[in-house]
Amino acid sequence: MATIHDEIDNWLAADLYGELSENERSVLHAHLVDCVTCRKTHQETKTMNKILEETLAQEKPDPAFEQRMLAGFRNRIPQKSGLVKSLVDLMRLRSVQITAVAAILLALVQMGRMITGERATMPRSREGDANEELFRQQESQAAASGLGRAGSLDKSDEVAAGRSKDLALNAPPSSLPASRPDFHQLARMPSTPVAPAKVAQPEASAAGAFATSPDNLAQPEVAEQKPAETPAPASANRKLIRNATAELEIVSFDDAMQKITAFANEEHGYVATTNSQKQANGKLRGQVIVKILPENLDPFLQKLRGLGELKNQTLGTEDVTKAYFDTDARLKNAHVMEQRLIDMLNTKTGKVSDLLQVEKELGRVREEIEKMQGELKYWDSQVQFATVTISLAEKDMEEPAAFLLKERAQLSLYAPDVEKIYDQIKALASPKVQITNAQLNRDYSGRVSATMSMLIAPEESDAVIGRVKSFGRVENFQMQTQRIAQGGSGISENAKTKRDKVELNITVSRDEQEQALQQTSLRIRTSSVDEKAKELRALAEKQGGRVRSSTFNRDPDGRELANVWLRVPMKNYASLMQSLNSLGKVENASVQRQDHTGGQIDEANAPADVSIQVYSQGNIISHESGMFATLRRTLGQSAGAIMWSLRMIGVAVAFLAPWVIALTALIWITRRVIRAKR
Amino acid sequence: MDTSEREQYRATIHGDRDAFEMIIRTHSRTLFAIAYGILQNREEAEDVVQDSLVKAWKTRWRVRDPEKFPAWLCTIARHRAHDMIRKRRPVPFLHETIGTSETETVDATAMDQQLHSALAALPELHRAALTLRYFEEMDYRAIENTLGLTNGALRGILGRALASMRKQLRPALASMD
Repeated sequence: MATIHDEIDNWLAADLYGELSENERSVLHAHLVDCVTCRKTHQETKTMNKILEETLAQEKPDPAFEQRMLAGFRNRIPQKSGLVKSLVDLMRLRSVQITAVAAILLALVQMGRMITGERATMPRSREGDANEELFRQQESQAAASGLGRAGSLDKSDEVAAGRSKDLALNAPPSSLPASRPDFHQLARMPSTPVAPAKVAQPEASAAGAFATSPDNLAQPEVAEQKPAETPAPASANRKLIRNATAELEIVSFDDAMQKITAFANEEHGYVATTNSQKQANGKLRGQVIVKILPENLDPFLQKLRGLGELKNQTLGTEDVTKAYFDTDARLKNAHVMEQRLIDMLNTKTGKVSDLLQVEKELGRVREEIEKMQGELKYWDSQVQFATVTISLAEKDMEEPAAFLLKERAQLSLYAPDVEKIYDQIKALASPKVQITNAQLNRDYSGRVSATMSMLIAPEESDAVIGRVKSFGRVENFQMQTQRIAQGGSGISENAKTKRDKVELNITVSRDEQEQALQQTSLRIRTSSVDEKAKELRALAEKQGGRVRSSTFNRDPDGRELANVWLRVPMKNYASLMQSLNSLGKVENASVQRQDHTGGQIDEANAPADVSIQVYSQGNIISHESGMFATLRRTLGQSAGAIMWSLRMIGVAVAFLAPWVIALTALIWITRRVIRAKR
Repeated sequence: MDTSEREQYRATIHGDRDAFEMIIRTHSRTLFAIAYGILQNREEAEDVVQDSLVKAWKTRWRVRDPEKFPAWLCTIARHRAHDMIRKRRPVPFLHETIGTSETETVDATAMDQQLHSALAALPELHRAALTLRYFEEMDYRAIENTLGLTNGALRGILGRALASMRKQLRPALASMD
């Protein structure tokens, strides 16, 4: 450990600067008493300290130093202006920063969606708003067509009217939307009767709907009591075209026609056109157009209801006042123009060409006048009479006139000789059995199939189908019966049912092509494959089977392999399987049976496929087994797996990289911008 | 470091100008001491402090930890002072030329000259420690913190500084006694 004497400088300095503890100081002073050298050093140090203090005191910064620094700083970095400063201050808040980041992310997501073409989901308005909207619409509808609907028995109308009533009672009168001219117009029309409603609810609703209009508060009762008596003072100058359509279901068309004519006469109108068509089931359908004075339209419609069941009714008013008076004014102008042109012609001054020009102009003006006059006349006629289009339909319009029983049969046959059967079926043709289509197909591999269609008179059908079935093995037979209503739809009690011709579609294919009912595959291990395969063939022949195909091969390892595919009838299947046991050891037998749900099959004769593999064990270990082969395969597979995962990593990086780059760039730019602002 | 100080540094880093002006008031003398310790010239030291403050304000976002703000400020001042020295290198050293003119009497000015040249002979770090001690009367611990020294290192530094100066000034001191 170093002594005080060795480190006297450090000790003295610490003493000088008051960094020694009480204990240390006494130790130091004890040493100074003992050691002359150190005492001298101490003396020198003290003197030097004094000089240093004195000298450096002059170098100390003056009291205004801080102020100078501050002033210099303010000078060099001027205070930011208000807006920028407040913005920068705002950006300093953590919550604002988080919000900004969130907003940017959201914007990115939206941008991505826009780029990828995905549609952003629109925020739906509140349920309440939607309902309110709906109510409002319904209310205005109810108000607009309130008259027509008042007496309607339509259930949904009742509901809608009920709603509109509720709303009308709740809503203050001033909240009535201004965009309902129809309502006001109709409400103001004195000829408007409120239908003597059959159901209490719609009546109340109509009254409620009226009550929404403040200036009509008292009107409903008045209108109800005396409909159609005073002519409209307000609509006197107005040109209104009123149109109505009604759809009625009636019992008798002629009765209805008579009544309509009578009603039209009562209300000072006339029947303009009628037309009617007779349907296949003897019912009549038609359309009547009635012209009637507008003020009598509503009573007339009222009367129509008595005719039958009202299916649909609309009432429309078209205001052509503006167009009418526009045309009227233009017509007057044109008259003045005409007069002036005539005057010009009468004075007869100027050149001939000028006169011709005037003549031409006069022609044009007159044509215009005629057009406008025609237009006005048309409007007058339209305004003078309201048009009511009535569609009439007798009840049970849709009742069918008759039923037709259509039968359609589908038959698939398998036979060894397709051509023969084809000819046989063709020979069946007679006036009652018509062959509509017969086709014999032979494809490139020599497979033959036939498709035939025939129409058979109903009384012969069963016999003919039976004959055809006996020609071969029936694989599938389907019969479809369809009852077709004629001249209408639905049920009729008195319509007759008739049997139509039976349509029969036949497909004949060779039984080779038939799918086996049962498929069996098995392996037989033996030492002499070739010989056993021959034996196998012989066995199959004996059991009435046929060899469909066979293969034989020998691989380099000395293994022999023979495949034999056999087809035997089901009845011989069991005995064949037994005899196979004599060939060698039967391994891996698997049986697959396909039962047709049709059920109409001849199981004993149905084909069964047997695929037999006869093989011998090779003597040499193949190249593909053994330790090195396994090692090679394992290495190859693992290399492949590594390559695959590398590729996947590459894909992931490629996928993420643009995002990372974009985000980094964004953050960098943001920081730069903020810095620049400060 | 108490919490209010810490808060001040944090606010400064986040761009609070008032907080930074407060720091200027409290810390510029320390910075001056450091700069003077290196440069031994008041005007230059003042310039350095001014520059350092401006630079600190402009690059305040570089400081992540508010605790390190004062130390960082001192570092800037030191670097600035070094830059200053590098700039004035070509100019011949002032004190020596003047010092030779009046050497007969050991009066106060001559003593000053000798003291300055003794100071100039010290390593920079030693000089800075001395100025901090004499200007600001800081204790060892504060000086160590300011200069980024390890705990207890200053004791040796100041001891060596004083010893080396004493050796240089010994004739003058002897004559004074």
